[in-house]
Amino acid sequence: MKENLFVSASPHITNPNNSVRRIMADVLIALCPVVIAAVFYFGYGVIINIAVAVGACIGFELLYDAGIRGKFKKGCMKHASIKDGSAAVTGVILALNFPSFLKVDAWDLNFYNPNLAEPTVNDMYFSFDTVIMLVIAAFFAVVVVKMLFGGIGKNFVNPAAAGRVFAFIAVSLAAVQTVGLGLDASTGATWLSGDGSVTGGVLLNMFIGNTGSAAVGETCVIAILIGYVYLAARKVIDFKLPLVIAGSTFLFALLFDGLGGSLKASELLPNALAHVMSGGLLFGAVFMATDYVTCPNTDIGRVIFGAGIALITILIRVYGGYPEGMSFALLIMNIVTPLIDRYVYPKPFGYVREKKEKKKNENKEAGA
Amino acid sequence: MQNTFPRGIHPAHNKSLTDKKNIEFMPPPATVYIPLSQHIGKSAKCIVNVGDRVTEGQKIGEADGFVGAPVFSSVSGVVKNIEMRPTVLASAEHVVIERDESISGVFRFEPLADKSREKLLERIKEAGIVGMGGAGFPTHVKLSPKEKIDTFIINAAECEPYITCDYRIMLEYTEPFLRGAMYMANAVGLNKVYIGIEDNKADAAALLTRIASEKHIDAEVKVLKSKYPQGAEKQLIYAMTGRKVPVGALPSRVGVIVDNVHTALSVCLAVEDGQPLYKRIMTVTGGAVNQPKNFWAAGGTTYGEAIAFCGGAKDGEDAPVKFISGGPMMGISVSDEEISCTKTTSQLLLMTDKEASISSPLPCINCSRCAAVCPMHLMPMYIDSYILAGDVRGAVKYGAKNCIECGCCAYTCPAKRPLVQSIRLAKKKSREAGL
Repeated sequence: MKENLFVSASPHITNPNNSVRRIMADVLIALCPVVIAAVFYFGYGVIINIAVAVGACIGFELLYDAGIRGKFKKGCMKHASIKDGSAAVTGVILALNFPSFLKVDAWDLNFYNPNLAEPTVNDMYFSFDTVIMLVIAAFFAVVVVKMLFGGIGKNFVNPAAAGRVFAFIAVSLAAVQTVGLGLDASTGATWLSGDGSVTGGVLLNMFIGNTGSAAVGETCVIAILIGYVYLAARKVIDFKLPLVIAGSTFLFALLFDGLGGSLKASELLPNALAHVMSGGLLFGAVFMATDYVTCPNTDIGRVIFGAGIALITILIRVYGGYPEGMSFALLIMNIVTPLIDRYVYPKPFGYVREKKEKKKNENKEAGA
Repeated sequence: MQNTFPRGIHPAHNKSLTDKKNIEFMPPPATVYIPLSQHIGKSAKCIVNVGDRVTEGQKIGEADGFVGAPVFSSVSGVVKNIEMRPTVLASAEHVVIERDESISGVFRFEPLADKSREKLLERIKEAGIVGMGGAGFPTHVKLSPKEKIDTFIINAAECEPYITCDYRIMLEYTEPFLRGAMYMANAVGLNKVYIGIEDNKADAAALLTRIASEKHIDAEVKVLKSKYPQGAEKQLIYAMTGRKVPVGALPSRVGVIVDNVHTALSVCLAVEDGQPLYKRIMTVTGGAVNQPKNFWAAGGTTYGEAIAFCGGAKDGEDAPVKFISGGPMMGISVSDEEISCTKTTSQLLLMTDKEASISSPLPCINCSRCAAVCPMHLMPMYIDSYILAGDVRGAVKYGAKNCIECGCCAYTCPAKRPLVQSIRLAKKKSREAGL
């Protein structure tokens, strides 16, 4: 018996239901409704994008592990980090942050319907541009943001958000055209880049996802909510954080749109609601802001973090040059996170404020 | 008042292996190896020589200083040797006694007639009684605090998985246990005992309440939520009284003393029968033990003999991969069967490959689950990363020094990081740095 005993520090049991891989699997499961909604509204392009993005993320991480960490030596794949599944999650989220088809004017390598004389983005069969951009974004997300900073747990911002922003800035937003293949009124500009008026069916269309959007994952509010409920029930994410983000976005939208004065009082509430439900806000709040690595670790810290995201998003949307601000807001608050955790941390159980103690002692001494 | 503390975890109880097993008597082995250091404080001074004939219950080690306790022989026999042998954490001087049937007689003190405070304390001191939950702090020191005490609590939570010896004591030695608890309360000048017990031992709680009222012992049983670490001193005090023990202070600061179930039983035996503390009830359990049992073991019985009494370890698939002295959350894993049972050995645990967690750590993903379960409200993930980067100040800032090493963080960690080990390192480094 003695030979095979394993000696280590306590505790000697761990929760069998807790593992990094299981967390990542839960996130992938929670993303399923969003993927289904995206395919329903935007067509098969979404599936190609997800396959490309996941493949690229896993491939880059494998290459990095084998090449830079393992120097291609024998056994370098033994401790490969892709087994934890985080690269796959990054890939799916990245693909959901892209349009189903996009066209880069600079090179335009897409395959269009050959029967049309002047095909538009809507007549695309296969978008090679999207593939190129996804691979570039995946490289940036996995290699630059994650692996170079130390791999899983060390990325300084959300990899998928960084990848998206990088790609969008690189090809400039104007060149990217979105396509909606769904029902009526789903094509064309999003609510945010439109005239900003909220008319009868807009809110309902947003809720079910029947609206154009820059990224396929953002469109269907119901699907995102299903994912949120699943993640919250499985306790994978802190259920409070998305609520804080959505709630404070609502409040800030009321405040800043009200300050602008261009909207009538009766329009303010539906307008604020539209702000919450449009763009990447809910998707980002549920799947990206809750990324463990880049959000604070205390409740108070998360409130600051969530409110900060909401504030920056609304400022960009109302006053900024981009119609959509969620990714930028997320990146900025990701970078602020270490600062928040530096100053906001819990007091130990039974903590006594030092000043009080000192005063008491002083009083005692004075009394004595 | 609440019946629990904030945060904590819910590990599988695994108590069914032994919770229905009556307390048995293990015959003392042919040779016992009695360590002279079975408590916190200075090791006892040996007062026997090689070749001496000693009887069961005879004092062989004299307490050295106020924080110390005497040590007694657990068998009648001849002192064969006085030698250094390994203990759980280091090594200590052991008195080796070979049993001899020709030596008869058992030493007992006079049963205590005058149960005044001073006499009770004196008896607890001379009987060598220490906290039997694991720390082994001399009980007479604990019961003589400088502060005024208004609440005496018996910690019957037994929140560690597997262990059942306190539970069996409450079922089988209900009355002596209650009387012993009352003697301890009397020793600090109180006439009431509070007993904190987890709701997975509701039958014991009901029995204690019934016997206490039948025998007119003023004991209030409080049923607490089954949650780990309900039996941690500060958490138990909070659950029982709502008082928070200040950081770095002893429970007596808030007027509370907490003591263990078995200690109360030992006090009763010492007061009423004059029996010094040289044997105890322990649980030997785990998936790798053939016949898990609760039994009385003589002090100085080696771990190997205790396990042999329980049918030995299993082979094949269920062979033990981890041998733990204590519970799975806070116990110490050992590899040496020659270590002796002491006053504080409450449990020996042999875990199979399925039960024990042996996995190599992955990088921290900063999920903050460790902080969410920490009953001391610390941030284990930061203590871990700061101390591994050599930043002692950072580790102290996030609470390293307040850690009670309960293991909730490492239990919960999805990356299976040895957080408690890191925090112990941080504590050591902070002591060295004088922070």
